[in-house]
Amino acid sequence: MNRFSEPVQTCVSPEIDIHQHLWPEPLLRALSLRREPPMLVRRGAGWTLALRGEPEAPVDLADHDPAARAALVRADGLDRALVVPSSPLGIEALAADEGVRALPDEFGAWAAVGLVEPDPAALARLLDAGFVGACIAAGALDGPDGLERLGPVLETLERHGAPLLVHPGPAPPTTVALPGWWAALNGYVATMQTAWHAFAVWGRPAHPALRVCFAMLAGLAPLQRERLVARGGPAISDPDVFLDVSSYGGRTVDAVLREVGVDRLVYGSDRPVVAAADLPLGEAVRTALRQRNPARLLFTVTTEVPA
Amino acid sequence: MTTVPRSTTLQRDLDVGELRDLVARIAADPGQWRPLVRSDTSERHFEQLWRDDHVDIWVITWASGNDTGFHDHDVSSGAVAVVEGEIIEERLVVGGLPRQLRHRVGETFDFDASHVHRMRHDAAAMAVSIHAYSPPLWRMGAYEVEADGTLRRRSISSAEELRPVESAA
Repeated sequence: MNRFSEPVQTCVSPEIDIHQHLWPEPLLRALSLRREPPMLVRRGAGWTLALRGEPEAPVDLADHDPAARAALVRADGLDRALVVPSSPLGIEALAADEGVRALPDEFGAWAAVGLVEPDPAALARLLDAGFVGACIAAGALDGPDGLERLGPVLETLERHGAPLLVHPGPAPPTTVALPGWWAALNGYVATMQTAWHAFAVWGRPAHPALRVCFAMLAGLAPLQRERLVARGGPAISDPDVFLDVSSYGGRTVDAVLREVGVDRLVYGSDRPVVAAADLPLGEAVRTALRQRNPARLLFTVTTEVPA
Repeated sequence: MTTVPRSTTLQRDLDVGELRDLVARIAADPGQWRPLVRSDTSERHFEQLWRDDHVDIWVITWASGNDTGFHDHDVSSGAVAVVEGEIIEERLVVGGLPRQLRHRVGETFDFDASHVHRMRHDAAAMAVSIHAYSPPLWRMGAYEVEADGTLRRRSISSAEELRPVESAA
């Protein structure tokens, strides 16, 4: 794993994908030993992942081979990819931090935060060890209670000048047979929008210096701006809140760009969940999303926040 | 303190007259724009002074030889106040030479969304201008006139203008 603790001093910012998933070997082993979801189950010659709220999905272990993935980082024209804990698995408790640390230099990582007993001191140690920031499931930040409960964790990030990544968490358990994409288009979208609005209302006043990135364009929450204003909500632009573009293409990214401007979008591919794809929005957008904006999200100088 | 545009309280786009008032008010208060001037650049440099749902405002530093090429602002209207130096605006004329206008320090001008122009700076001394766009700049058209006079328009993201690749560092 590459340490991201030093600000970039070179004149050209590295090209970064801030959102990939890579399950290190210790996590794969732990998942394969479990007897209840989340777990890896052998099906014939391959493996499938069983989750409570989503249909069983095949997992190609080759997708999680560190050397092959490092080669893909280079093939994507990137200098670094940041590994995101797989929050939808609901396995923050199976923290895979040790495995992540052993990844090749092409990778940096977001630290997982245990949601049962959030531990700011443990996060501080991970940040000191080079993790870029913390990733928290959107459902844990969906209102004043969650934001207060995770307040000490967010304060730790602020003190370290490290960002927060908000990522969809596990889908609720269901007995209905749903298409494989159902959670990604419904539950994920709803919880990301809720977390976006909750941060604007309760998170920002409590954490004025925190830089935050919402995965998957925050479930398109910025496109609700006219409705927000029509219903009396705050029309505030927050320059320290970023959005990654994972799973979206040119039309949607351009629509969000119209709402928030180009300075607040960062490139996140969600590889290997979806294939990485170039956005047809020109070189300037590409450079802003892969170099300029990630540098602003990740490498701002540490600020002291009064206790 | 930053001038809060009327768009923020009115929650609507501004017309060209309102945009022109806005850039004139900001120009009259160097404390707002002076800290955003970049004297160390050979490229046009953009710093954002304000953005809300209806207006974005930029401080642009021009070095000698900077040239936008002919472009439009798609659905946005705009206004400009020149606060240092001089900027040349050229308006495209079919069948004739472009109409040239010199905008000097202290002057303001505006344009609606149908406007096609090119702005450049050819003096040795740096120029600085305040630009406001409503709605905020999004897509743009970039024009090229070919050798036989054929006009071509490319649809580009405003990022090509505001965040050109050279300034990625």
